[in-house]
Amino acid sequence: MSVLSKLGKIDYRWLYITSLILTAIPLVYPIGLSVTLSQPVKDYYSAIQDLPEGSVIAVSFGGSASLLDEQEAQFLATWKTIFSLGHKVLFYSTTEDGPMILQDHLGDKVKPEDYGYTYGEDYVELGFSPLGEPGEASFAANIRGVYAADKYGTPLDDLPMMVDINDYSGIDLLMFQYTACTSIEWVVRQWSVPYQTKVIATTLGCCGPMAAPYYPSQIEGFLSGSGAGTELEVLSGNPGPGAAMSDSKSIGILPQLVFIAFGNIAYFANKYMKKEDDQ
Amino acid sequence: MATLRREIPKFIVMIFGLFMLLGSFTTIPIFDTIKAELTSWTVTISAVSVWLGAVYASYANYRLYQRNKKEGIEHLIYFIVPFVVFGLQFGSGILYGVESPQYRWYFTNIYQNIGATVYAVMFFTLASSAYRTFIASSWDATALLAGGIIYTLRQIPLFQVMIPGIVGAGEWVMLVPNVGGGRGAVIAAALGALALGVRTLMGQEATITEGG
Amino acid sequence: MAGIMELLGMALGTFLIFSTLSMLYKDNVFFRVGQMAVMGSSIAHFILYNMKNVYNNAWTPLMNGDIMMIIPLILGLLMYTRLRRSTAWLARYPSSVLVGIGTGVMVAGTVSGQILDQIAVTMTDVLNWNTSGGSLINAIIIAVGVVTSITFFVFTKEHTGVVGKSASIGRKFLMISLGANWSGELVWYLTQLVGRLMYIKNFVTALMGG
Repeated sequence: MSVLSKLGKIDYRWLYITSLILTAIPLVYPIGLSVTLSQPVKDYYSAIQDLPEGSVIAVSFGGSASLLDEQEAQFLATWKTIFSLGHKVLFYSTTEDGPMILQDHLGDKVKPEDYGYTYGEDYVELGFSPLGEPGEASFAANIRGVYAADKYGTPLDDLPMMVDINDYSGIDLLMFQYTACTSIEWVVRQWSVPYQTKVIATTLGCCGPMAAPYYPSQIEGFLSGSGAGTELEVLSGNPGPGAAMSDSKSIGILPQLVFIAFGNIAYFANKYMKKEDDQ
Repeated sequence: MATLRREIPKFIVMIFGLFMLLGSFTTIPIFDTIKAELTSWTVTISAVSVWLGAVYASYANYRLYQRNKKEGIEHLIYFIVPFVVFGLQFGSGILYGVESPQYRWYFTNIYQNIGATVYAVMFFTLASSAYRTFIASSWDATALLAGGIIYTLRQIPLFQVMIPGIVGAGEWVMLVPNVGGGRGAVIAAALGALALGVRTLMGQEATITEGG
Repeated sequence: MAGIMELLGMALGTFLIFSTLSMLYKDNVFFRVGQMAVMGSSIAHFILYNMKNVYNNAWTPLMNGDIMMIIPLILGLLMYTRLRRSTAWLARYPSSVLVGIGTGVMVAGTVSGQILDQIAVTMTDVLNWNTSGGSLINAIIIAVGVVTSITFFVFTKEHTGVVGKSASIGRKFLMISLGANWSGELVWYLTQLVGRLMYIKNFVTALMGG
């Protein structure tokens, strides 16, 4: 067996160990690489920025604690952007983890009160409800049908911000945050199509390509993965966890690319040698 | 009895589905109201039935223990651990509330950490499988490889700096050929879902209401 | 400076990260204990939040006079009849309600949102002669991708001749899509790894009094 064909049979554990070591190094010695902005991210940012001050943004929050490493940069940069522009925000969680993540973010990492916000007047948290697609339809048609009270148990009519918000007509922009790739269809079918509500989305890296067919006609912009979160941090001038992760991703991916190259070299070497033998 | 067990459930599917369609395709206010009311029911039904998952998971865990208990004490530990963690976390949530630091302690350190690490493990398994399968052995495989590599390079800051034009190329892959293939898949899947949906609403998909 | 409970939590978290990663070497007792622990933890979490939802949004309105709330509550409880073989058929009623509503809602949006609008945007881009040359070429590539990949999903006609050629081109487009999906997934998992390494780093820093 030639050296080249051996490249296709390297023990996987070399890939594991080199990836682990290379990913860890930039955490100790950061490099500080820059990022380039992409169009869906710019459009996502513009959709928030172009709203008149005081517009109402509904955040359908489907964040997952297990996947927070991938999405936290998107979330934090988004909250900072919204709060700095003075929009009103209506948070509702569609996953059980949602309220815990929001509690950590709004209670500690990006406090709305630091931007002059008052709970009940400028932002409201409705807590968790297992909405799914019918629930999204119900929420768009009648918010009080699925949320009688906010997460603290206060009836919605007792919250000043909610007095005039009953359904989709009180929402200027829907921000859909999800982790199951096909869930993007829910908002297209239940918000974008029936009410022509403006929609933007944030999701995992692997779901971006599946959201792309709906962009920009039905979804005005989207963030997919922590890379897009980092881009939003740069674009909005709010550095956060995304920037800290960039260097490790840059170096940690190298063994994978080298191994894919090895696999292909070995394949073509074998093919060439087989051809030689046949002749 | 067959009417109660099979025919009425099928009728419920049809009638509730019809109300949803009327609520969506007509502008008659009463159907909008019915749609809003009925869709809100799904939320409560789902939330009330969540204990069912706990019962099934406990039963599966018990069956696993029954099958392996002769193999040693470790299987008894596997059997007990979920109940202990459940008891501690559930008790903490009831006693102190789900917003309390006590509850968050379990949530962050057990639930979040293990869940996140499982996905980290997936990096290694996906990487090793790509080493075996991302080979340009045919035109189809080459298309897969090209789409994957270009978009990977586009996502990584190091290559954005090293390879001029990679951002444009990655974005082009995402927004042109990916949209072409993805949109075709969306339309094809929607046509399939539509056919299945119509069959379901007409009571032709018996399997959906046969369970239980 | 981190408190003792916070440090203990981080120590437990770090241990669980290593025990889960140890699976890469081989299946072992620490990995399995962690797996079982997360099962108990997630069930507790799901139940607590769903109970809270039922209390706030169904039980309280019912007590305040919203009598209609009794129906979904009863339907939800009927799901538990599955646990006895003799009563299991009763669970078909709430299932039928969920299926009927879910299907009706899905069908209504699918026609317009995923079929007509998707076709319309594809055609509009191609027929829009005011766009630049590059955009038009891209629109044509997208349209070719849409048509050919739909042919790939036609299973009622044999993939030979023109249909076969079209399906073959469609498969290339789908492969590029899958490649991009794979890439997104790979970088996502890598981010998860970076996140866990950062957690360990934070624990070490906290341990050293940082």
